[in-house]
Amino acid sequence: MIAEFQNLQQALWVANIAVAVLLLILVISRRNYRAFPAFALYLLTNTALSIWVFLTYKDLGFTSRFSWWFGWSMQAVSVGVRAVAVGELCKHLLARYRGIWNLVWRTLLLSAAILLIYSWVATKYQWQLAVVRAQRDLELAIAAVIVGVFVFMRHYGVEARAADCFMGLGYCLYSCFGVINNTILERYLDQYVTLWNFLEMLAFLGSLLLWSWAMREKVPEKAYEVELLPEGVYRTLTPELNARLESLNESLKRLWYPEAKQP
Amino acid sequence: MSLYLYIFFGLTGLLLLLLFWALRKPRKSLAAHGGMSLPEECGCRHTAYLPQIQQALSKVDYDFVSQKGSRELLRRFRRERRRTVLAHLAGLREDFQNLLELARIVAVLSPEVAALQEFEKLRLTWKFRWRFERLRIAISLGNVRALDVSSLANVVSGLSVRLQKAIKEIGERAALASKLGSSFNGSGIHPV
Repeated sequence: MIAEFQNLQQALWVANIAVAVLLLILVISRRNYRAFPAFALYLLTNTALSIWVFLTYKDLGFTSRFSWWFGWSMQAVSVGVRAVAVGELCKHLLARYRGIWNLVWRTLLLSAAILLIYSWVATKYQWQLAVVRAQRDLELAIAAVIVGVFVFMRHYGVEARAADCFMGLGYCLYSCFGVINNTILERYLDQYVTLWNFLEMLAFLGSLLLWSWAMREKVPEKAYEVELLPEGVYRTLTPELNARLESLNESLKRLWYPEAKQP
Repeated sequence: MSLYLYIFFGLTGLLLLLLFWALRKPRKSLAAHGGMSLPEECGCRHTAYLPQIQQALSKVDYDFVSQKGSRELLRRFRRERRRTVLAHLAGLREDFQNLLELARIVAVLSPEVAALQEFEKLRLTWKFRWRFERLRIAISLGNVRALDVSSLANVVSGLSVRLQKAIKEIGERAALASKLGSSFNGSGIHPV
């Protein structure tokens, strides 16, 4: 049974590598590496590492200690490059709005750091689970950043292209799945490890398909230019506006009289 | 399952919910406003009806109907007044939303944005929503004060006038900036 499952896992691994290579070809043929260089680098790194790790597992087996550490180290490299690619997507989405981009990247970086610290502190400390936990925390931070950037965009009424939405969805779903999977893995390490590998590859395949859909057409290298307002307008207008909003709130507060007269 | 399993599951679920909410098509997008053409559209339409609302809520009218009319007429009169105030409040909220939308556009199109001001705006918006809902429920249940409704309308109206004036200034400054920019033809001088 386990042998059959491992065969299935290897088949899925090969399928993932094949889809990733096809996506890489798509990215190159559509010249989308110009708009998303870090994403192209991530695909390249991930595909190369997958092949390398696959060959290592094939030679040494899934139970080898070297394979385990090697696999995890490569996983760390892959998550790191993905984090950079996520940063690139965020910049691609908002960088043309200089003011809010400066606000957003600081806020998101701070939120990600707080989330990383919290999730590290929230769980009991065990050395042997450090790698699993670190990856989970990083995945959580990546998902939070992606969600955060789309929430900011909605708040400010900035519309994203469909391709960018699919890119974000791919990153976020994969990271969210990684968080759930790693949390379960941490708890039920021995019984779950084979299934963990399988489910992770399945989630990655889903994300690859979403990214392929996003990359099916050429993404403009540079987003349209936005003519920004002169400096100082915001500084003059916004405090005034906030003061007015505050006074409007005060009026609403004054309206709240439980003993008010019946109409 | 231990507590932290629930925490991480909950966090992930919350993130996914937020993502799908954020990816829904927005009702109004920045592109739909067409940049600076908004000010003409965001006037406080509903505050124009303030005299009629005040008349409808006047104590004199209420006293007259309660003395001269039947109980059925008085009940109907109160019901109609409540409906009118609620409709007026909804209109004021619409005005408020329009002004807030304008504030967002100013933030998006500004080269510099202050985090404190933005979070303050967010805080005030939530506060307004909370109070508005409480008020709406209270009026639905029968509590209303004519004077306070008018003061609320005045605040929205005042906000609109000030903002329109400011936007007019922005337009003039932007025109001046582009004029200066083309005169100097990119010689490194900041136009504003």
